[in-house]
Amino acid sequence: MENNGKVIPIHAEPYGRSRQAGEAQDVLSHLVEDFEDNPASMQYFYDLFRRVYCHGEEVPHRGMLVGTTCIQAPEELIYAFGATPMRLCNGSYHYDQKGADFMPSKSCSLVKATLGMLSAETQIPKVGKPDMIVNPTTCDQKKKSSAMIGGMGYKVYDLEFPNVKESEASRVYWQRSVRQFAAELRTLTGRKLTRKNLKAAMEKTGRAQAAFRTLHNFRRKSPSLLLGKDAFLVTNAYFFDDIERWTLAVEKLNEELAQREKAGFKAVQSKAPRVLFTGSPPIFPNLKLPLLIEEAGGVVVADETCSANRMLYDMTAVDEWLVNDMVDSLADKYLKPCTCPIFTKNEDRKRRLLALMRDFNADGVVYQAFAGCQVYEMEYRSVAEEFNRMGIPMLYVETDYSPDDKGQLSTRIEAFLESLKNRKKQRA
Amino acid sequence: MKYFAGIDVGSTAIKVAMVNEDGQVAGVHVTPSGSLFHRNSLEALNALLGKLGLQREQVSYLIATGYGRKLFKEADDSISEITANAIGAFEAGKAFGGVRTIINIGGQDSKAIQIDDSGNVTNFVMNDKCAAGTGRFLDVAARNLELDLEELGDFHFMGSQAPLNINSTCTVFAESEIIGLLAKGHGKSEIIAGIHYSIASRTVRLAKRVGIEGRVYFDGGPALNKGLVAAIQDELGRELVIPAHPQTTTAFGAAMLARSEFFAGQSLEIA
Repeated sequence: MENNGKVIPIHAEPYGRSRQAGEAQDVLSHLVEDFEDNPASMQYFYDLFRRVYCHGEEVPHRGMLVGTTCIQAPEELIYAFGATPMRLCNGSYHYDQKGADFMPSKSCSLVKATLGMLSAETQIPKVGKPDMIVNPTTCDQKKKSSAMIGGMGYKVYDLEFPNVKESEASRVYWQRSVRQFAAELRTLTGRKLTRKNLKAAMEKTGRAQAAFRTLHNFRRKSPSLLLGKDAFLVTNAYFFDDIERWTLAVEKLNEELAQREKAGFKAVQSKAPRVLFTGSPPIFPNLKLPLLIEEAGGVVVADETCSANRMLYDMTAVDEWLVNDMVDSLADKYLKPCTCPIFTKNEDRKRRLLALMRDFNADGVVYQAFAGCQVYEMEYRSVAEEFNRMGIPMLYVETDYSPDDKGQLSTRIEAFLESLKNRKKQRA
Repeated sequence: MKYFAGIDVGSTAIKVAMVNEDGQVAGVHVTPSGSLFHRNSLEALNALLGKLGLQREQVSYLIATGYGRKLFKEADDSISEITANAIGAFEAGKAFGGVRTIINIGGQDSKAIQIDDSGNVTNFVMNDKCAAGTGRFLDVAARNLELDLEELGDFHFMGSQAPLNINSTCTVFAESEIIGLLAKGHGKSEIIAGIHYSIASRTVRLAKRVGIEGRVYFDGGPALNKGLVAAIQDELGRELVIPAHPQTTTAFGAAMLARSEFFAGQSLEIA
């Protein structure tokens, strides 16, 4: 028979068969099944990720949906206008590859994956078309991605963010920028910002942050009650889950951890090296590094990343007589405690890291820098100098979302944990 | 007499080292890894036992290391090759007045390790994803030049001209550079010296990332290549300590650890 050839049209795979869902499924089953004694109340999160990432369940939202590409977008304001914020930062390797159509291939995996996800036909998680995407002008790559997201047909709002943290000019600039954002939200939603609504929004995020902080403090305990891979999953869920539902689930987890503590439970061996995690954020399904650490017998006890601790640690509790003053104070809360490396100087980050080392009784630090995430790569030097001076061991890992380097990384991580153990032994 | 073994299941070769109760090397054995890691590891262990006239039962503790360490279930314990290498170099380096920096070039990777005065790893770096500038690179180059791997070292010193520039440490690109140089009629010695310098400068860059302190110990199979040793010394501007058995330092480290873990378990005082 003669073969005339034919053109095969591209068809979007259904959720269950997409590579992104496969990737998520893979990480989830590893994270759940390859570890013993997962807390029963983690089931809520395992199920949530399975539904949203593997089965394409739509993420819940009330009112308008406002996507955010960074934690510097004040979510209290979005809630106050009756809308729902959703963090779009993506962790999928397959979207990272897709995103290379938009950005140089050597740029940050996180930014590329987010672009890849937004450009995809079947998005995971399924965000549909947010009514607006707010893009704080923090690092260069996020800055430049804004026009590309706009080019895909999304409505993008650039939230202007300063480069210097300490100066009064920056503070005033940022306050004006946040006020402008509030005005934009008013136009978008057709609602008015009132003191009452803003207070209610802060109470809502405040409850979530309080629940997080309780969880965070449970991780001080030695031997650990909870593995870092689960803690990262919990904070990752905050990106897209309904905030009240999320808070309840974390409170339930906290109750279980309290029981575990009472029962003298150990999630790891008592001599397991305790690791503080910092640098480029682990975002599901890219939990490569935390999982490698915990597979090798270490435990991540705390982190200084914008997908977990930095996102939820600082509670918003501002109260002023006038709503405009409240917005200004809210802006301060987003600027002052921020330890993102995009700032010129970043003494606060070093202080925060040292405090976490001390409070969480950590043995060493793992510093993740995504290849192409220049600010983290550059800031490594000054952090390393400080840690060297304090005699704190640190492992610097430059990596990306690709699974290629897992074999090599596992050797490096094991060696690092072995050296931590050895130090511990000699001190004892 | 009790014996303790370390087995280093590497990407290219399997190395076994045996030490006695006093920490003296009883013997070493090296064999290619092949495709059947597990079987070949067992055979390597048995070969060394045979050579030393020992029974398996006389080996009181066995530690596996190297990329294949998890596959060798007969071991009592496993440890990463970085820690094992550090212990091996620390112990072997005592004879040279102590070492603080270790450069290791293996079959498919290279690493630099810094240790403190008690032998603890304080810092280390490994080459990134690819096998550029490792033993595999020498292997391919030797094949291009129709020489045995063992001959490269001597050829290094035989040239009358300056070493040629090999720009790439990527095995694939370097291969075409080598062919190009041969086609232009350059001598093998100059090409080989160029290859050694290309690996050396990459390795020294790696070592500088970890920070070079004290005496520098160079091990791994490629340390048997005198030409490469000379090139690294030149690039580094420092002396190198080359042990008697550079290929088995890591296996020796694992064996020494096996010994101390065994005695720690017995809670006996060890010297």
